[in-house]
Amino acid sequence: MSDKEIQGKKNWFLSILSLFVMVLLLFPLYWIFVTSLKAEKEIFQIPPTLFPTQLNLDSYGAQLKNGDFNMFRSFYNSLIISVGSMMISVVLAVPASYGLARYRFKGRKLCTLGFLITQMLPVSVILTPMFIIFRDMRLLNNPLSAILADATIGIPFSVLILKNYFVSMPRELEEAAYIDGCNRFTAFIKILVPIAYPGVIVCGVFSFLYAWGDLAYGMTFIQNQSDRPITAGIFNFMGQYGTKWSYLTAFAVVTIIPVALVFIFMQKYIISGLTSGAVKG
Amino acid sequence: MNRIRKFFQFENIGYLYVLPALLYMMYFVGYPIIRNIVLSLQNVTVKTLNAPVKELIGLNNYLELFRDKIMINSLINTLVFTVACLIVQFMIGFALALFLSRKFASAKMVRGLLMIPWMIPITVTALIFKFIFSTNVGILNQSLMLLKLISAPVDWLTSPGTAMFALVFANIWIGIPFNMILLSTGLTIIPTELYESASIDGANRIQSFFRITLPLLKPTIESVLVLGFIYTFKVFDLVYVMTGGGPVNSTHMLSTYAYKLSFGIFQYSKGAAVANIMFVVLLIVSLFYLKLTYEEEEA
Repeated sequence: MSDKEIQGKKNWFLSILSLFVMVLLLFPLYWIFVTSLKAEKEIFQIPPTLFPTQLNLDSYGAQLKNGDFNMFRSFYNSLIISVGSMMISVVLAVPASYGLARYRFKGRKLCTLGFLITQMLPVSVILTPMFIIFRDMRLLNNPLSAILADATIGIPFSVLILKNYFVSMPRELEEAAYIDGCNRFTAFIKILVPIAYPGVIVCGVFSFLYAWGDLAYGMTFIQNQSDRPITAGIFNFMGQYGTKWSYLTAFAVVTIIPVALVFIFMQKYIISGLTSGAVKG
Repeated sequence: MNRIRKFFQFENIGYLYVLPALLYMMYFVGYPIIRNIVLSLQNVTVKTLNAPVKELIGLNNYLELFRDKIMINSLINTLVFTVACLIVQFMIGFALALFLSRKFASAKMVRGLLMIPWMIPITVTALIFKFIFSTNVGILNQSLMLLKLISAPVDWLTSPGTAMFALVFANIWIGIPFNMILLSTGLTIIPTELYESASIDGANRIQSFFRITLPLLKPTIESVLVLGFIYTFKVFDLVYVMTGGGPVNSTHMLSTYAYKLSFGIFQYSKGAAVANIMFVVLLIVSLFYLKLTYEEEEA
């Protein structure tokens, strides 16, 4: 609570305590990681081993060989779906957020309210009608169905985040651009979007993560096993090999990889996105 | 043409920027919401899905649902689950936020790493906890047996009471980072001078907490709780993957029951009605939340 950094013994004590809390809370993640490296027999061993006594990478390798269920295939499906939905979200949200931030047209508040409310909507409400819509459009079993559906989570989030970025930009920036010969549109594309790029990255990251984590849309609209995203893949795999925990945990670890990469390289964007998105709305 | 051009001058040019996203959301969210309301007033099952004209049956689906034991049970489950998760995750998240707001060497790093459970796909979280709570290989049973706290493995996920406990436990694990990070941000906004002058006036830590931290954090606490309610009430993936609503429908939430009705037994209209009941609850809470934040911004 004070500005001063804590030093000496107290610093040591608090740091060790915090690391202890961290180990306790993150233990489940560690646990599936080591389990994925154990042989099936060792998983059943009592007392459980904290480290694999013998390193076993078969659970990952088997996925490459086995034809009946390939997790790398579903990883690829998820990647396509998440990148696709991320692009739709960003491309639509960037101009929309700018429009809402800059121009005082009629119904602008209602628009913002609409985006806010869709963010709070349960998936169940639109799942069945969407299923019927995509069926009529003959998009079932097509990754596009999941892409289009997942973007409905990314767009409102992105609009609300980016709106704050554009609101905080001084109007003089645009005026200077007009003097330099830009029109309204080129000023927006060439000057404002590049300045708002940290916000654009936040939106991209979150839209990607939302789509990556989606289960309901992917498993409902895509029934073909080989076209399903990785979350639906895991769910199916659990149904089929419910007790094969070495394979299941390996599957889980692979699913976490992109999230871990995003976390390592973009941590500051994530925290800023979460806090500004949720608190300010 | 000229009239259109005239309309989109000055401030109205904003429409052009907003329109693509707005039309997209209207088509893929707004229209389905209306379709869902209509669907809930019809009697659409897998047999009548292709029929050109669907009969309206009024509020029959809703009336039937309120005589449906599983539905009532799902409603109670959802509320119990939401409140239990909210209370525990808020308390732990708040404690962590206070602890990690102190300026010691590892505070920032730990706060960052604790975000991970919130970011990973919920399907994976469900798998992790299904493994931990598993009867034969679960580390929970193994540890409790080693400590001699239980003599035989507990069927956590296959007996009704404990299955609910396991779901709440797993969801709290996801909710803690969310509460912690929002409350941490709220804490950073409180000016440190307030604490300094309070301590000069002889206030101890506990007094400072109740007289300064809590009152100034009130808006943040309100948002955290309301948003937490909305996110928890919507729970689907976690329950669907961990228990599937079982054993014997005992852990169904509104969302999983709606899914079961629509895509498990193809009673699309009944599923739509359950979803609409959720929608009404969340809409009321959302509007309440918006009013709350709006008033605070005005004040």
